[in-house]
Order: sequence, then C-alpha cells, then structure tokens
Amino acid sequence: MYSIIVVPPPTTEDEPARTQYRLAPGERLVFGRSVPEDGLRIGHDGVSRRAGEIAAHGTFWTLSNLCAHQTYVVENPEGAGEHIKVAPGRLDAPVPFEFSRIVLPAAGDLLPVEVWAPRHDYLRGEDGTDGEPTAPAFSVDRTKRYFAVLAALCEPRLRGAPHAPLPTMDQVVERLRPSWPAASRTSVQWNIDYLAVKLRLKPGPETAEPGPRLNGKKESLVSLALRFDLVREDDLVVLAAPSGRALR
Amino acid sequence: MTEPYAVPVPRGYRVGAWEVREPLATGAFGSVYAARHTGGTQDTVGVGGGGGLPDTVALKFLPTGTGTPRQLSHLRDLVEREVELLRRLRRPRLIRMYETLTVDDPGHPRLDGATVLVLERAEGSLAALLAAEPRPPAGPALLAQVCEGLQQLHRAGWVHGDLKPANVLLMADGSVRLADFNMAAELEGTHAYTPAFATPDYTPPELLWSEIGERGRRIRPSADVWAFGVLAHLVLTGSFPLPGGTATARRDAAVAYARGTHELRLSPELPAPWREIVRACLTRTHADRIGTDALLRRVTGATGATSGTARLSLRLPRARRRRGVPAAAAAALVTLAALGYGIARWVDDGRDPGAGPRPGGTASVAAASYGAAELRTDRDVPPAYRLLIVETAHDCGHEEVSPALIAAMLKVESDFDPDLADPAKDEYGIARWTPSVLRWWMNEDGTPGETVPQPPFPPAESIPAMGRYLCWITPRLDAGLRGDRGVLVAVAYRTSYRKVNDAGGVPPKYRDYADRVAHHLKEYTPSGGK
Repeated sequence: MYSIIVVPPPTTEDEPARTQYRLAPGERLVFGRSVPEDGLRIGHDGVSRRAGEIAAHGTFWTLSNLCAHQTYVVENPEGAGEHIKVAPGRLDAPVPFEFSRIVLPAAGDLLPVEVWAPRHDYLRGEDGTDGEPTAPAFSVDRTKRYFAVLAALCEPRLRGAPHAPLPTMDQVVERLRPSWPAASRTSVQWNIDYLAVKLRLKPGPETAEPGPRLNGKKESLVSLALRFDLVREDDLVVLAAPSGRALR
Repeated sequence: MTEPYAVPVPRGYRVGAWEVREPLATGAFGSVYAARHTGGTQDTVGVGGGGGLPDTVALKFLPTGTGTPRQLSHLRDLVEREVELLRRLRRPRLIRMYETLTVDDPGHPRLDGATVLVLERAEGSLAALLAAEPRPPAGPALLAQVCEGLQQLHRAGWVHGDLKPANVLLMADGSVRLADFNMAAELEGTHAYTPAFATPDYTPPELLWSEIGERGRRIRPSADVWAFGVLAHLVLTGSFPLPGGTATARRDAAVAYARGTHELRLSPELPAPWREIVRACLTRTHADRIGTDALLRRVTGATGATSGTARLSLRLPRARRRRGVPAAAAAALVTLAALGYGIARWVDDGRDPGAGPRPGGTASVAAASYGAAELRTDRDVPPAYRLLIVETAHDCGHEEVSPALIAAMLKVESDFDPDLADPAKDEYGIARWTPSVLRWWMNEDGTPGETVPQPPFPPAESIPAMGRYLCWITPRLDAGLRGDRGVLVAVAYRTSYRKVNDAGGVPPKYRDYADRVAHHLKEYTPSGGK
C-alpha cells in the first residue's frame, strides 16, 4: 500500500541495484550522512548528518529540510525547469510533482535523490454521472513522457492490427524522437519500468522461475493499456512532432 | 456537449416492444430510461425473454455500438459481465432482467449497436433515498435485505465488486434489489477477477492500489462485506466510517487503518448491535472479515427479522456445499489453532460460520478422521495436517486438486517433514518451497509478498500456498495430455506447466517423480471415491 518511492543517489558500488524505499501514507524516511538504520544513508562528507526527512501523505509527500544552512531545490525533471525551494529549517513542505529530484548540494557535488509519487490522480474526461463515480484504478498524466512511451508501444495495435508485434526498443526511441529528441534506450526503459510500478502490473508467476525475467513487461503493459483504454487512437497525437519543429 | 447522459435516447424512441419514457439515471458506462410496453408486437428481437412481461420496465442502454463517440473496448467486457450474471442468476434480491436487445438503427449512429438490458423497474436507488433523507427510519430493514442480496449472490458463486448506495434499488413495495453488475465476477476457487474499477469509499484497503494483472483485479467476496460495512454505517449514521472530508482523505485513512497506525472510530450514533456488525465487516485484513452467511445471521438478529419484507431471511439456508462434518470441523479448529494458524481464515468464507467449538469428539479423533470420504485415514497422512490438506483442496474449484493429490505430493516432496531444509536445492518445508517462488503464492489475496520470504515455512503457510499454485496450474495444462490429470498437475508443480505441455505429458526427467505421486495418490484415495 505504498504511495511514494524514494530512489537514492547513485553510488559506484551498488549502481546496478539501487535500493528503492517504498513509503506508505504516514511513513517517514530520514536521510543524511549519519542516520538510524532504517533511514537513507548518503555517504558523502558534504551532506549533513541528518539532512532531511521525506514523509508520505497519501498521493503526495512533504520534505523537511533539517540542514542549518543549505537550501534544497526540488526539481520537476519533466517540468521545463519547474522547481520549488525548501529553505533551511522548513518542515513538511508539500511537493506537488509526480516525479521529483531533490538536489542536495554537497561540497561542490550535486546529489540527486529521486522521489516518485505514482498515485497522483488525474481527471478522466468522460465522467457525467449520478452519485459517486466508479473510478478506474489507473490514473495517467497524458502530458508525461511515460504516456508518450506507452502510446508508442500501443501504436501498432491501435492503428489496426490487433496482434501486431510490439515495436522494439530502438523503434520506440525512433518514434519518440520528433517530440523528445533526447530519448534513448535507457530513458525509454526507465519509463517502462516506471509504468509497471504506476500501473501496478502484477509480474507473472512465471517470472519467479529461472530464465529471462520480465521480458513480458512491455507485452503486459500494452495489453493492460488497451484493455482499459488508457491509450486510444486519439491519444497518438502525443507522438507527433511539435508544430514549430515540423514546419521547418 | 451539455448532455450529461452517457447515452442520450430521445423520449418516444422504440426498441423492440418498448417505448422510451423519461430518463432515470446515468453512470459512467450507460444510461437508464423508463419504458413502457407498446402492447402491439410481442416481437422476438431479444433473447432470454420469458412470458409475463410487465407494462413498465427500465431500459439500460450501454453504448457498445461502433459509431458511438466513445469506443470503449473494455465496455464490452463490462456489459458481458452484467448480462452473463443476470441471465444465469434469478434471485429474489437481485434485479431481474427480462431480455436483452440490440439497437439496429443506422439513422442514429450514437445508438446503433447499443446493448439494451430490459430490467425490472425500480422506484429509485438507495443513493437517492439517502440524499432526500439521511438516516432513513427503515434503514435496518433495508440493510437486512441488502445483506440477503449479497448472500444470494455469494452463494451462487459471484462477487458484486461495486456495492454502494447507487447500486441498491428500492422497489415500489419497499423491497430492495441489488443492481449494476458491471463489476461482478464469478468466483474461480476463492477469487474472482473484476475489471480494474472501483468506488474508493467502498473499496477495502487491501484492494486500494492493489496489483493488477492482465485479467483485472483479484477480489474475493470479503470485498463486498467491507462495502456492506461502509454502507451500513452510512445508512444508520449519515456519515462514512473512516474520517475525512473527501474520498481521497478517507482512502488515506483506510490505508492508515489497515496498516495499524489508526484505530477504527465508529460514530457514537451507531446502535450497539450494529457497532459489532460494522466492526466485523471493516476489519483490517480480509481474512478477519466475517463471512456472508454469518453476517446475514447477525444482521437479521439485529433487525429482529420482524419486517414483512425481510421474512426471507428467516429461513436461513444451511445447505452446505461440501460434505461437512460440523462438529468435527469445529473441533478440528482447535488443532488448527495449535498449529499457529488463524481460526478466522476458515470462518471467513462462511463455510462454517459462527461455529464456536462445540462439544463432541476430542480434537485428535476429529482431526484424524477429517475429510475421511476424500482422504484415507488408515495411511500415513499425519492427522495434524488433514484439515489443512482437505480445506486447501476445497479452496480450489478444480477437481484435480484433491486432498489425496496434495497429500501424495507432500509425501513425495518431504515425507510430511515440516522442518525440511535443503539449502543445496534452495527448498524448504513440507512442500519444498523455493523462497523466490513461494513469494508469488504466499498471500491469500493473490498479491506477491513484498519481499522474498525467509524459511522456515510452516505447513499452515506452505500447504495453502501449494494449493493456490496447483489451482493456478490446473487450467493451464493442455486438454489432450497423456496421463492422469492430477499427476500432471503435480509434475507441473515440480517443473512448470509449459514443460508439461511441451512434452505432451510427463517429461522423461520427471517419470520417477510422477510414478511416486501416482502411487501415493492411489494409496490415499478412498476406494468409494473417484
């Protein structure tokens, strides 16, 4: 029942498997150079012993800046520079972004702590109902990159062929490039992994067996998205190049 | 678009023998209109009719046509669920469907192809009643009938999946009908799969943000029991049981409650007997929730069963689905508790609702003969595990997964050794679970464990998890395989169902294993049985 995921800054030794911290509403995670065992330890001399605290509140989270002199910046990586500042000593500042990057200044380095809030709710345009609505279990932001990735994955099947093979990673990257020039296999894979978290994809029991794992993830995402109409043919416009660029 | 109706239908529109009158209600998926019989053509466009059509009905239009602006592919699934349920189930407390029709009208592209359900006409919904009159005096009697409806539904093997005031209809005679079965699902074993839609205020905490597979969300009847608890609190006190000014705040409160960080504080206005009932419905985990039969008994007890409309509840059907031995079952619960296994789990499904330990038989004698009709008592199956084995098999609806098969597998896997530890193969416990595989089957609600579990794996965990896995394997084995289906299921447990399908039967490597399982399966199956 977690609602917030914290991804620690990369460190060389455990880069392949960064531990993610999953917080349920009401849970708190303290981070810093010297924190209790259940906290997030950031082993960098430039970071305060108790640098800050993240608290999960349902769909959003708050940040406490426990440092005496540094201002923390929380960026929205997909927000074209959108950010908030949390001054030293500020407690429980609410953060409204679905994706956030807390940038910790540390003796010349900038250490990113990523925080995801995959339970954000978004309006579905079609509700005209009496009484309490029966809501779909999924809520996606059609302006986010993960939605473009999902649209690109679904495109061949939405364009008519219900059993069309899924596009390869390289094809997805190519397809997204007009609207997202910096797209790469890594960033696309990141978004696929995030979608699996956000859509709460149940990994198939077969993945517990030895052998290639989660190779059905793309397939599962697409079938879920199409089954519950998360992406429709109209939505494929997100794949089109911005008009300014297309005119050139 | 100012039209708030999901499917606008003009007054006077004709469908089959029906003429559309005023609109009644709309939801996200379809719209409901009053209609009257035109008398003239008793035509047979529809299916599932049956004589004695009333003069007025409710027509539920579901936009399944291809020309509708919203081509919702999942809508077909939702419609099929409702039609399927209403065609198959006719119960006093479930809304009745007379026929289904399909609109054939190219002139109205938004209507062409729409599915129309011809339903019993209700006076209104409980939602409308509560809006007009919070805490209606007839509340307890209405709730008793809602509970009857749930019990009729669950007994027939279905889960409603979206019980809320808007889906409880009130008839002209004051009686209640459950309606809106778009989320309903037929149980497969202990679970059903429903579409991934829910109304947050009535969704049990274990389903909020639950994992969703390609078949949808796994739910069990206890989800309806939670919703009933919320509904009862709302009807009797005018407020939701969990605090918060918005559905989002109440959802967060439900999560905090389920995590154990918040207590349940029910309204002081709730009458004492109902306080206990609502508490029994709103438990933190589904396993602790009261079963539907026991719930109905308590609800009728609380309402006194005096109201005329609730008289149905007086004849409590006690037809047991299974060859039960109540006294033995109750006594055997004692044994089960000794194994460190929650008693509530068995009471949960209403299998033996409300049964306290009764006199009759010592625990050991009862345990030793438990399920004797399906599992021989004169072999080496340890009496302490009989109840677990038998009930685990019963939890699965597939015939192949029998008590004798589970016992035979435990014999071959571990010789019934609960403390088995084989680190070389990474297998532990009576069912030789590999921790990373057990993770996918350890939770009763079908969700994987948060982390890979650590041995020891006691029998009370190992055996039900084994049953869940076997039950999942069974329908995945191809039809034409060679050999005994039960043995094939066992082999698929050892390797995988794919390997068994690929081999067209028992793969050569597993012949020996299969032979041993087959030997004990025969040994443990009573001669009178299958």
